[in-house]
Amino acid sequence: MIGGMLRRCLIVDDNERFLAVARTSLERDGLEVVGTASTVADALDKADRLRPDVVLVDVALGAESGFDLTRQLVERHPDLRARVVLISTRREEDYADLIALSPAAGFVWKAQLSAGAVRELVAGRP
Amino acid sequence: MTTAGLALRVGAGRWLGGLLAGAVGVAAVTTVVALLEPSLPALGLLPLYLLAVLPVAVRWGAGPAAVVSVASTVLLGYLFLPSSRRLWFAEVDNAAATGVFLVTAVVVGNLAARLRRAAEHSARLSAEQAALRRVATQVAREAPPEEVFATVVGEIGRLLGADSAAIVRLDPDGLSTVIAQDGDGPERLPVGSRWSIEPPLALGVALRTGEPARRDGYEEVPGEFAELLRQVGVRSSVAIPVVAGGRTWGALGAQRRGTAFPADAEQRIAEFTEIVAIAIANAESRTQLAASRARIIAATDATRRRLERDLHDGAQQRLVSLALELRQVESAVPAQVRADLDRMAGDLTEALDELRELSRGIHPVVLSEGGLGPALRAIARRAQVPVELDVRTAERFPEPVEVAAYYVVSEAVTNTTKHGGASYVEVTLDAGANALALRVRDDGAGGADPARGSGLTGLRDRVEALGGSIHVTSPAGAGTTIEVSLPLAR
Ligand SMILES: Nc1ncnc2c1ncn2[C@@H]1O[C@H](COP(=O)(O)OP(=O)(O)OP(=O)(O)O)[C@@H](O)[C@H]1O
Ligand SMILES: [Mg+2]
Repeated sequence: MIGGMLRRCLIVDDNERFLAVARTSLERDGLEVVGTASTVADALDKADRLRPDVVLVDVALGAESGFDLTRQLVERHPDLRARVVLISTRREEDYADLIALSPAAGFVWKAQLSAGAVRELVAGRP
Repeated sequence: MTTAGLALRVGAGRWLGGLLAGAVGVAAVTTVVALLEPSLPALGLLPLYLLAVLPVAVRWGAGPAAVVSVASTVLLGYLFLPSSRRLWFAEVDNAAATGVFLVTAVVVGNLAARLRRAAEHSARLSAEQAALRRVATQVAREAPPEEVFATVVGEIGRLLGADSAAIVRLDPDGLSTVIAQDGDGPERLPVGSRWSIEPPLALGVALRTGEPARRDGYEEVPGEFAELLRQVGVRSSVAIPVVAGGRTWGALGAQRRGTAFPADAEQRIAEFTEIVAIAIANAESRTQLAASRARIIAATDATRRRLERDLHDGAQQRLVSLALELRQVESAVPAQVRADLDRMAGDLTEALDELRELSRGIHPVVLSEGGLGPALRAIARRAQVPVELDVRTAERFPEPVEVAAYYVVSEAVTNTTKHGGASYVEVTLDAGANALALRVRDDGAGGADPARGSGLTGLRDRVEALGGSIHVTSPAGAGTTIEVSLPLAR
């Protein structure tokens, strides 16, 4: 599948306000937000039920880790490999090594989140 | 056996030895007298017997010596004078000569015996002083208490001629733990073993009353410990309490199998217990100091972590959402307003970056998230000089250890950039069996001096609070090397 065909998205973030803003922004550019979650357990459950094309995962989920969630998601749904996009308020360089080591497609800084940026990352990987 | 009984035995031994030696001496002198007697008057040779009396006096004391002198007098008459004069010393003419001989023998014997005692006393004192000095030196150079205790029991065992000696600590549950022990007899108490040590055992009395105690004999003493002493034939024990910080911390005891301890044994141990008490107090205050240092650092780190998180969850989170909203609005407004909004969004991004820089300095999130490897690589990437990283472990360590190692590298790299004029920095991290070894080396100007700033001193505080060590080698012109070892309790 190429990036242009990504239509259904799950956002995992523990900040309500950001979830709302991100939803508006993504949907306006044609990326439907089929669900949101704020904990690892909730996210795994929604991924099982909703079968999103792409999952946006906040690196810092309260006490839980977005890196852990990414690994678990890809283990349960191998087709999500390179379909998880890590997002954070912190910058990519803060986590550089950990992002490279994770099976995620890449990282988008929350202030620059857009459907285009997500599609580009996912399409950019085989 | 009672103390009196023992003393009697010791006394009898002394007399027996003295008289035997005297007999041998007198026999030897008699041989000489027999050789000389044909040409010299026998009575004139009487003073020769002093040669037999003196060694007895020196070695066995004045009593046996007096007996030997009297025996000599009688023997001389019996062997060398006609039978009519056997009791020559009773003859009026000879009374003076006999008297002079006997008095001389007794006086010289007494003097010799006293001299010998003085010499013995001073030898013992100087041995004691030397032993005390050895222990005191150890305490002064802050040797670990276990080392001091081991030396103390060794010295006491030797000085008192004990078969075993031990230091026990009184634990809050009333049992006592053996902290150090000397001697290899069957009564030895393994270090670390715990016992119920109660009166009337000497150690028990010392522990409960805080006073010196002694016990000679263990018949009818109840308890496991007394049973052990009985089995191996321990006869005599002395014990002195160790008082540290105003309470009885424990006690020091010594045991003998053969004979009882001399009467001044307790007094001789007492001086050691004072040093032991000082060693304990020192160690306790050092431990407390290290713990409070570690607490202060841990509290500071926790505050920094919270601050970083608050910034992240609060201000940064809001500003990021705001920036995202601005971008949305931007696309929906007329072109002339869009330029303004775009500039505002740019400003906002810059502000966010500054904020991010700030919170990164407060606490490195990547450290808690990913451990030392990723965190050190992040330092290397940001550094303004090339950093060669050699991280030989992917393990996670206790948070204080990771944080300390991180700050060492971070400060060292900052210093190199700021002061070193170096062309590169080399960082090596290796986890050993008991410690994490870290080395940071640059090829810069050298001459680092912790007194000129707070960075290196801060590192020392951090590392030492964890019981680690840090060495800075920085000869002028030859670069700077910082070597750190952080203990790992595995
Ligand atoms: N790698 C180095 N090469 C050369 N000189 C150094 C190096 N590291 C430290 N120094 C010297 O040692 C001094 C003490 O360093 P320290 O890190 O304790 O303080 P500082 O860097 O001056 O200030 P700060 O408290 O901000 O760290 C420095 O002022 C500098 O002169
Ligand atoms: Mg410095």
